[in-house]
Amino acid sequence: MSSLTDRYLAATLRAVPAARREEIATELRGSIEDMIDGRRAEGRDPATAEREVLTELGNPAQLAARYADRRLQLIGPTYYLAWERLMKLLLSFVPATVGIVVGVLEATDGENPGGAIGEGIATGLQTAIHIAFWVTLVFAVLERTNTSLNLPAWTVDQLPEDHVNRQITLVDAAAAIGWLVLVIAYLPLQHFRSFVPTDDGGNLPLLDPALWSFWLPFLMAVLAVNVGLEVAKYRAGRWTWPLVAANIVVDLAFAVPVVWLMWTDRLLNPAFVNRWEWLGREENLNTIATIVIAGTVLVVLWDIADSAIKAYRNRH
Amino acid sequence: MVSDETLRTHLQELRRGTVVVASLIALRRPDYGYALLQRLTGHGFPVDANTLYPLLRRLEEQGLLTSEWNTEESRPRKFYRTSDEGESVLQRLLDDLADVQTSLTGLIEGVER
Repeated sequence: MSSLTDRYLAATLRAVPAARREEIATELRGSIEDMIDGRRAEGRDPATAEREVLTELGNPAQLAARYADRRLQLIGPTYYLAWERLMKLLLSFVPATVGIVVGVLEATDGENPGGAIGEGIATGLQTAIHIAFWVTLVFAVLERTNTSLNLPAWTVDQLPEDHVNRQITLVDAAAAIGWLVLVIAYLPLQHFRSFVPTDDGGNLPLLDPALWSFWLPFLMAVLAVNVGLEVAKYRAGRWTWPLVAANIVVDLAFAVPVVWLMWTDRLLNPAFVNRWEWLGREENLNTIATIVIAGTVLVVLWDIADSAIKAYRNRH
Repeated sequence: MVSDETLRTHLQELRRGTVVVASLIALRRPDYGYALLQRLTGHGFPVDANTLYPLLRRLEEQGLLTSEWNTEESRPRKFYRTSDEGESVLQRLLDDLADVQTSLTGLIEGVER
């Protein structure tokens, strides 16, 4: 018995269930020898015949998969769409949320606000990789164990209202609402648990507690209205001029107070600012204020322009 | 012009199921893997060895084939034969194949069923 055939059999049988290995081995060996004999009868020399036969049988792993009736795909058509949907939904907001939370905690907790951005981005990326890996792993296992997910069958009722022109997808709306809820929750959270201790071990709020008399509740109310706007946008499925107008009002209702409070040095808690030497210096605080103001203005302008362009396209 | 690749895929699709039918017919007379491969090829059913050998095992597991080892010759060979169950499945498949042919003929000639 020549060694190539032995090696081929070993490579094939390694991936075949043990219970049937021996029988398949005997049969496959016989078949290979029959095929070699057939080629030699046509005048090939033994070595060439063996090579040709094994080449014809192809990759041992593939042959073994056929014997074992095993699937040569990570996630097949049965689960692919469910996998894709879940992946898109989770990746649309979880990594960014975790990244921001970690970044904010790091910024309030540590002495290095600059490093917090890097920390947040790195954590966000790690989260994305974890989500992608574990979701895929679960679906790959389902594929191999043939588990039924009992997902409801597709019906015509699931067709989107205006599937051709839907600009605002469920994923977009869910992500936006998730963000808003997070920010709404953060405003009171930072007051009670900012993760910045005072000198006597108490809690040091990030934002000026004096703002609770009016501005912080007002901003939370504006954000809540914004959630309503996201729902309305999703139900409409596309940008309309009334929605654009409402969006401008809500955007400005949030941005103008924030910019104005930052400008007049009333947004951040003075005790918090003085906690760090770096932040306490006048020019550094001004830099931070400029960045926040410029960032807010840019985001608002971009959001308004984007909504207006999309609404305009719908008309034309 | 349709590419060779496209044509090949369609032909493959068309032929796929016929290998089972042909094997069940051929194995009314017991035979072993390689000899069956030769017979099928000789009768115009070219089939890849790496498709046929695993297929025979699968059909056996489904009870459509029975098998018996023959150790009288120079090397031990596993002979497969179409079982009673395999025969009844084969009849269904042949009926269906005939239906397909009838329907196609009808379509070609434009006759309403």
